[in-house]
Parts: sequence; structure tokens; C-alpha cells
Amino acid sequence: MNKDELMWVEKYRPKKLNEIVGLRHIVESVQAFLKNPKTMPHLLLAGIPGTGKTTMALCIARELFGDNWKTFTLELNASDERGINTVRDRIKGFSRYSRASFGNVPFAIIILDESDQMTRPAQTALRRIMETSSRTSRFILICNYSNKIIEPIQSRCAIFRFSKLNKTAMVDHIKNIAEKEKLQVSSEVAEKIIDYSNGDLRYAINALQTAAAYGEGEITEKTVLQVVGEASPKQVQLMLTRALSGNFSEARKMMYDLIGQYGFSGSEIVRQVQRELMKVSYLTDSQKAELTNIIGEYDYRLTQGANSDIQLSALLAQFSKFKK
Amino acid sequence: MSIDHLWVEKYRPKSISEILGNKEAKTAFIDWLINKKRRKKAVLLYGPAGVGKTALINAAANEFGYSIIEMNASDTRTKNSINKIGKPATSYAALDKFTSHSTKGNVLFLDEVDGVFGQQDRGGIPAIIKIVNESLVPVMMAANDPDLKKIRPLKKVCKVIRFQQIRLPIIITLLQRICLNENITAEFEALERIAINSRGDVRSAINDLQSIARIGKVITLQDTLFLTIRTKDISMFDTLRGVFSAKSHKDAATILNYSNVNFDDFLLSFSDNLPRRYSNSEDLATAYDILSKADVVRGRVGTENWSLLKYFFNFLAEAATVSPDSFKPFEFIYPPLRIMKLFWTKSQRTILDSISLKIGKKVHVSKKTAKEDVLPFIKIMLKKKKTESIFTYLEFEPSEIDYIKKMNKY
Repeated sequence: MNKDELMWVEKYRPKKLNEIVGLRHIVESVQAFLKNPKTMPHLLLAGIPGTGKTTMALCIARELFGDNWKTFTLELNASDERGINTVRDRIKGFSRYSRASFGNVPFAIIILDESDQMTRPAQTALRRIMETSSRTSRFILICNYSNKIIEPIQSRCAIFRFSKLNKTAMVDHIKNIAEKEKLQVSSEVAEKIIDYSNGDLRYAINALQTAAAYGEGEITEKTVLQVVGEASPKQVQLMLTRALSGNFSEARKMMYDLIGQYGFSGSEIVRQVQRELMKVSYLTDSQKAELTNIIGEYDYRLTQGANSDIQLSALLAQFSKFKK
Repeated sequence: MSIDHLWVEKYRPKSISEILGNKEAKTAFIDWLINKKRRKKAVLLYGPAGVGKTALINAAANEFGYSIIEMNASDTRTKNSINKIGKPATSYAALDKFTSHSTKGNVLFLDEVDGVFGQQDRGGIPAIIKIVNESLVPVMMAANDPDLKKIRPLKKVCKVIRFQQIRLPIIITLLQRICLNENITAEFEALERIAINSRGDVRSAINDLQSIARIGKVITLQDTLFLTIRTKDISMFDTLRGVFSAKSHKDAATILNYSNVNFDDFLLSFSDNLPRRYSNSEDLATAYDILSKADVVRGRVGTENWSLLKYFFNFLAEAATVSPDSFKPFEFIYPPLRIMKLFWTKSQRTILDSISLKIGKKVHVSKKTAKEDVLPFIKIMLKKKKTESIFTYLEFEPSEIDYIKKMNKY
């Protein structure tokens, strides 16, 4: 078995553009560029997680360079390496080096995943590089929110927006994988998996593979529930319920565990709290809306303030006051 | 101004009985002094400023007929200079007795021994220890902070006696006595405020009383309002205590202005102690909301806009006095929880980082996404044991697999 195929997200990641699920119009425009690679501009792929942006970028690299694609591609995740030094050292170095010898493709590809996480100075530095190295390199920038990319960069790119994947296409994809793995997954169960993953195909495939490790041959709704339940952030749930039941001190202690043991940042925790809040069964919709407003206020202050744990504590204090 | 015009001198205790408070410490000291077979030849009195350490030594020497040879922080205290004065002072106890009948002999008094400084007073502490060991007469020392590393060796050769802050009623009574004697009418609240403000330091209370009395023969609470807590060093605890117990926004703001604690530490400690300060969840939520604004201002101050700092203090003072009447003393949390937590869990985060990075590289996601969205599934798979090969594929070290197994769910 090919080593790359142990994680199903990789095993079933489309290798060719025309294998990509449900993004017909984007695929067609990209294929048009690739007919004459010299005409390909820098690309900016924007959209929510798990909709195929990274896959699209990797497919483009494969289509251009075949099996040697790794040699001609620099793949960086800006969330991990977001500072200006990365841009100045790694990106600049790679982009200047001419690789004119590969067929009729006169450039190398630089894939910058989660580029909206790049700091502003880093983006500004990148802007010059995109111009000066356009003879030797093409950038594919991937992001969740294109408004976090500075305008000069946006104006240098062809922008593609990835919307939530079509549900039937996703269900089909899941069933397809199940079939190849010799698993029995009914349409209802496949649908449940998609429901739980909120339009994020990567999450859905991971859930499927984990469920397969649980069950024997057939995957039931119960298994799926169990997997999703176990994989969801328990600590965040607990923190949320403690706070909502008025136990501020306990909730705050758990907050410090999240920061300390798992290294979550303030905004990550806020995002998860928001996600988990929607699942709390004993709150009415209007209560959830009210609490979401509170989250919104502190999420904003988080971006302005100096200490995320203070903003989080303040958020939890408001929740503790709320009481059901 | 002659000496007598300074009330601290005028009302300095002349005898042991005039020294206020610290009964146990006084008894312990006297017992040591009159016991001819004392086990330790030296005594170290320590405690905050202005509680009567020096006064006790002077008064006791006076009452028991010793002559004091004193060295304090204004003298150089290198090995040489200490030997020059200390040696002769401690070597001729017997001889002195013959020459004078009025004195029992010498005592060596080293005041402010925590002020024996490294470079300037090189070899000072070892020299003191040597003198104590060879001394024929009692050696007395006083210090504020007995925990300083450099004077720790001293504690081994000394009987250590602790002095505490003087309690409020005692100070107030003393102030009343002085007022009576000086023909001054004072509101009780005014004297109370002076006493509170002195934080157990009798000397500063007398000084403050005198400086206010200069205004007139009647002292009202209004007159004491300009009093500020002495800035010498308001520790983290004192600042927390002061701010949380403040009766008004203005009082809290004043304390913050005069405190020179690191205010980033203070902000974190403030946050840690809020739940202990406000038991009512409404108050707590209000206070945290204000604190959160203070933190936003702190963000704006950054490293350059220091002029905005006043708004930061303003918010802190407001958060501290949401309901001044509900204040009850409590034990403060310090150092900040965050610093403790992050310190203890650093190795865990490093290993988690390395795991997430490996996953991220394989499935083309960031560390963050790997940690949040992929790792939870991998943990479950690991538990099911059906998928050992995945872990070789992800290039996990055995220690990392162990870590995932033991990891709590988040």
C-alpha cells in the first residue's frame, strides 16, 4: 500500500482537477489557464474550511509538473509561519530561483495556505515579491477570509470563491469512499456524517475513518454519534456548561487548562465556545442569540486588548451571570 | 527647627514600657538581653519600618546601663571598617567594667544590616559573623527584610525576633495622646485615616500628624485628604489590598498612581483575585467587563502610547470599586495563575506542537487545524488500536504516542 494512503483524507484527496467534487465552474476556469500555463496569474482561493481549496492548489501543481510536483512547489502554512522573516527568507529565496527548464512551464509554484493569518508587514513584504518574481514564480494564496488579505495583493490575483459544498455531492463522496473501503454506509448515515461536519469535507472523511476503526464492516448512526461526540472539544463544552450554571471559578480553571495544556489561543477558544454554544440543548434560540452577541463583543475586544485570558475571563463572567 | 520640634524625636520612647505593641517581641528581646548564659551572642530584630526596633534597642540599653556602639547604613561596612569599630567594641567587656560603674559595658548595634551591600560593603556579612562568634558582649542587629539571600547566613548565628506592624487602635491612641499634649483638637476620623495611611508605621503616622497640625489647631478629615501613601515600595500585595479595599474610585486610583508594581503582572493578578473580591455574580460580571476595557486600553498603550495609561488605571480603579461596601478581607492569589500554568505546562505544549506539526505536514493543514480538527480523531483511532500503521506513517515518536494516549480530551 502506498504510504500516503493511510489517512483517508490524503488517500481520497483528488489528484486531478476533474476529480474534484462539486466545483465545476472553478475547475473549468483553472483548466483554461492551464492550457497555456504562461497565462496563469497568481491565484487567491477563498472560502470556508474543507471545501477543496488546498486540494485545488495541489491539483494545479500536479497538473503542471506531474509526479515531480514536489520539486517545483513550495508549500507553506502561513498560520505556522506567519512572520515577515518567513517571507523574506524562504519565500523570497525560493521565488527568485529560475526553473525554466521544466517543459513549457516557466515558473515554480508557491502555495501559501491560510495566508489570511499572515501579519500585515509580512503581506506587505510579499506584495513586492509577487511583482518582482512573476517571471519565475506563481503564487497560490489560500485563505478563509479574503478581506484579511491586503488590497494590493488581492489586486494582483485572480480570486476564486469556494462556497459550502453541495450536500448531495458530499454524501456521494462519502459513500464512494465507504464503498472502496468495503464499508456499509447507508445514505442516512452518510448524511448524518455530513450534517455533523458542517460542510467541512475533511472533517467528514476523518469522522468516517475513525468510525471505521470503531465498527465492524457496517457503520451505524450510533457509531457516528459516538465518534463525533468523542472528538468534539469536551473541555470547551465543560467550561461552557460550568459557566452557564454559574460556576465561574471552575470555568476559569478550565480555561487555563485549555491555554496551558493545549496551547489554544484566545480567539481559538472563543471560536470553539461559539461552536459549542449552538449545541447546548437547554437554551432557547433567543438566549443563544443573546449569548452570541456577548461573545461577539469580547471577541472584538480580544483583537484590541493585551491579554486574551482577561477577555476570556470577562466573557465567562458574563456567562456565569446569565444562568439558565 | 530644634530637635524637640520634631515630634518623632520628642515622642521617641525613652523606656521599654513606652514602646508600643509587639509585646511578645519585646519580652523575647529582654529575656535574651538579661540572660547571662544566652545561647546566641547576637540578636536580629526584623520587621517593617517604624515599628520600634531601633527604639527598643536604645531604650533597653538605656534602662540596663549598656553603652551602645552603633553602625548603620550611613557608615561604610566593608570587612575592614567593621573590624575597625566592631573588634574593639566587642573585645573589652570586662575591662570596661572597672573603668566605669555606671555602665555594664558595651553592646554593638548594627542597624539596617539588610543594607550591607555587595560591592561597596564587600566582605561585610562574613566579618559580622566572625565578630559575633568572637564577641564578648551582646551584638544586636536590626533589618527590614530577613529573607534577603545575603543576610541569610546571619540568621544562623542570631536569635531572630520578628516585629509586626503596629495595630490601628494603638496608633490612634498614640496620636490622640500627642494631640492632647500639643493642644490640638482632632476628629477621630482624621486620626483614623492617618493611622490607616501609615500602614502600621508609627514614625510615619507621627510625621503625618505633625505636618497636618501645622495647618491649625483643629484637624478635620478634610485636612488629611492630601495624605498619600508613601511611595517607597508598595508591594504587589499592598497594592492589591489597597485597591480592593478602597472605599471609592478615587482612593483606588490614588493607590494605583503611587504603586510602582509591574502593571502587567498587576493586571493578571487583579483578574485572578476578582472572583475572591466579588461573591455576587452580578458584581463580578460588571467588574470583569470593566477590567476587559482596561485590558483593551493596555493593548492600545502598547509600548509607546504611555499617555493613555491613565485611562488604564481609571478602569482598574473602577473595576475594584464596583461595590465598595461588600469588601471582606481575603487571601490574595499571587503570582498570576497564567504564569504558573504556562510554566508548568510548557513541556506538554512543546510535545503537542510537534505532534500537530507532523499531522499538519501530512494532511496539508496548519498545526492549529491539525490540533483542533484532526488530532481528536487520531486519538480515538489510537484507542481502537486497529490502526497502528497510521502512527508510523505520521512518524510519531513512542513518547508522542504515549502523550496522545494520556491526553485529556479538550
